[in-house]
Amino acid sequence: MTLRKKDFELRLIFFGIGALFLAFLFAPMIGIILKSFLGGEGITLEFYKSVFGRRDFLTALGNSFKIAAIAGVLASIAAFVIAYTINYTGAPTWFKKVIQVTATLPMLLPTIAYGFAIIYSLGNQGLLTKLLGRKLFDIYGFWGLLLGYSIYTLPVAFLLISNTMSYVDKKTIIVSKIMGDNYFQTMWIAVLRPLMGTFAGAFIQSFFLSFTDFGIPASVGGKYHVIATLLYNEMLGGIPDFNRGAVVAVVILLPSAGSILLLHALEKYNIRYDRISLAQHRYNKTADSLWGFSSSLLILVALSIFAVIFALPLIKHWPYQLSFTMDHVSSVFADDNLTGVYLNTLIMAFSTALVGTLVAYGAALVSARSHLPKFFKAGVDSLALITNTIPGMVLGLAYLFCFSGSFLQNTFYLMVVCNVIHYFSTPYLMMNNSLSKMNAGWETTGMLMGDSWGKTIVRVITPNAAGSLLSVFSYYFINAMVTISALIFIVGTDTMVLTTKIKQLQYFNKYNEVFVLSMLILFTNLVAKALLAGLAYNKTRKNNGGKKSKATKVRDISKGRKEF
Amino acid sequence: MLELNHIQKSFDGSTVLKDISLKINDGEIVSILGPSGCGKTTLLNLILGITDPDQGEIIYDGEDFTKKPMEKRGFNIVFQDYALFPNLNVMKNITYGLKNKPGISTESEVSDLIDLLELREHLDKSIDQLSGGQKQRVALARTMVMKPNILLLDEPLSALDGVIKESIKDRIKTVAREFNLTTIIVTHDPEEALTLSDRVLIIDQGKIAQYGCPGEIVNQPENDFVRHFILNQLEIKRNNIFALFGKGKGVAA
Repeated sequence: MTLRKKDFELRLIFFGIGALFLAFLFAPMIGIILKSFLGGEGITLEFYKSVFGRRDFLTALGNSFKIAAIAGVLASIAAFVIAYTINYTGAPTWFKKVIQVTATLPMLLPTIAYGFAIIYSLGNQGLLTKLLGRKLFDIYGFWGLLLGYSIYTLPVAFLLISNTMSYVDKKTIIVSKIMGDNYFQTMWIAVLRPLMGTFAGAFIQSFFLSFTDFGIPASVGGKYHVIATLLYNEMLGGIPDFNRGAVVAVVILLPSAGSILLLHALEKYNIRYDRISLAQHRYNKTADSLWGFSSSLLILVALSIFAVIFALPLIKHWPYQLSFTMDHVSSVFADDNLTGVYLNTLIMAFSTALVGTLVAYGAALVSARSHLPKFFKAGVDSLALITNTIPGMVLGLAYLFCFSGSFLQNTFYLMVVCNVIHYFSTPYLMMNNSLSKMNAGWETTGMLMGDSWGKTIVRVITPNAAGSLLSVFSYYFINAMVTISALIFIVGTDTMVLTTKIKQLQYFNKYNEVFVLSMLILFTNLVAKALLAGLAYNKTRKNNGGKKSKATKVRDISKGRKEF
Repeated sequence: MLELNHIQKSFDGSTVLKDISLKINDGEIVSILGPSGCGKTTLLNLILGITDPDQGEIIYDGEDFTKKPMEKRGFNIVFQDYALFPNLNVMKNITYGLKNKPGISTESEVSDLIDLLELREHLDKSIDQLSGGQKQRVALARTMVMKPNILLLDEPLSALDGVIKESIKDRIKTVAREFNLTTIIVTHDPEEALTLSDRVLIIDQGKIAQYGCPGEIVNQPENDFVRHFILNQLEIKRNNIFALFGKGKGVAA
């Protein structure tokens, strides 16, 4: 066993991953860009001219920018209020845990389900409308989208802000007070100012997610068109137009890529802290109560909307027959077609998690555990950055163009690869972070003990990375369970999954089934998350010699993106 | 003069400080010494006013400070990890408190302090450009600008290495003497406490094990804890040095 052999194996991994991304990221993306320029007579700008000349396109684009920006601001503010309550107030620990868990709950549901939940909460016959005695606002269009996007992006904004907040030096509050600052001055210098970079990050992430989401406008968009629905209609509407669809996809790609690159650029302005900061300080009971109350209110709004997902399938016929029934649930489970779809989803999510974890692990080995030239590491890092900039819908559409007619069309293989590529960035960064922290001499020690490089990876590195591998598995699994944007263009009749089935059920107004399936996704994700988190915790604890592990937190603002 | 009378403090049902009573004279440097978890930082927090005692009173110059808000006590602190404002440069950190109390230090006093702590060449730098020792001096300057009645230092030397540690130790002494400043230092290092202070307060499991001058602690330890925990550490250090330089071995107390 020589270092040269080890390099050979790592090079092999690198080129394997490179080939995968070449075939399933770069080729389809080049294809979609070419499609937007190539007409019957060669290269042309005709499709761009015709798309940009359409009033409905410009309106949809303007709507998307406007609503995504407002949702970004709202989600960031709400996330700050909740994160502040958790990190800075003297609220009881149980209360902090409740709001923390609730704030991340929307991550476990597909966005299309939020839309239907809004309809059945705040629509004409909605649960909340009935309880309040009047309709608060028209949910179809701007307000429904705004509410949906804000709830959808709250978890990402919250995780980013709360994560940075846990590192911000709490002792600066004491210093600021001793120096004579009032409440607002202390809030600015010790809390808000160190978070400015993260606020920008949270806003951009939320903007990006809302701008590229398809699930929410698919349910509550109404006549208020946004760019994602335009793309869907262009491709799967009455008269599909592939070239113009490609133009819309490129237009979606540009601000998305711009926002992620901006995030990357903003990173260097972030204030860095070395460790999680804990400090005893005197709590202001009045202010803390206000923060706690505001957080409760925000959480209550989110929960009350989600309540219908749990309530409606158990009511006979909303709003006319309000008696309790299990008929809807049992009819879903009795329907072979729906149970088949559930099984499809489980297979697809599990396969995505398995393959995705292997790919992320391999890529992280190249960048964190090798002495290969910089080119290799930079190559893997670039893959993470590039995949981060491509919206799921655009990737799915690129696959539709690239693989239609091939043996991969409408197969699980293609769906799994699509998810693996689409969600690659965060798992890779999680693995890279974990592997970089391990002792750099393990491979050399293994080699001196007579192990091959592969054996050292299996016997030493992998067991020590088990906790992170399980977290990455969990990340891929949950995202594959809830994604719709990436799959809507490539799913087939035989490979239908829950999220795309929900979209189909919408046409037939089968909302009870929609909510039962949404509940199924939520419970599956909760079980998977609890199981994998428990396993990861035990593995990490075991590796640390029984000591409680310090949470591995990804502080990089471009690293927390999630898109469904 | 600062007086602590029968101070008691508990967290979640477990008593952290038990019946602490002591007096600290003006201009004195006092170290609070003890192992991790003995309650020394809690005592510092009580003096500063971050938290209130469950029982007992804190008297400063005859006035009852027990319930007085932290910001009105006129005490100030340098934290172990400095708690500098990362978005402000060195000069802005040093003069941070002057915007709220403009007249408390004159321009020339600030300038003298900058020279005393040898910070002039770093004034325009951002905080992350500074070494640990430089950050410590900036935090000290920021505190001194506010002319505190009592200066509290939480493990001021623990994050620093050998030479820098000695240099900061000297600066602390110089500043305390120059301004006749009552200084309370929390440390877990016996050598640091005994060489830096006029008096040392040793705490064991929330109770005072001994309070006296360094000479008294070394020559007349009052109990086994002081003898074993504190003095043995010094003994081992001395034996190591003697063994290294061949000057004979010390005798364990």
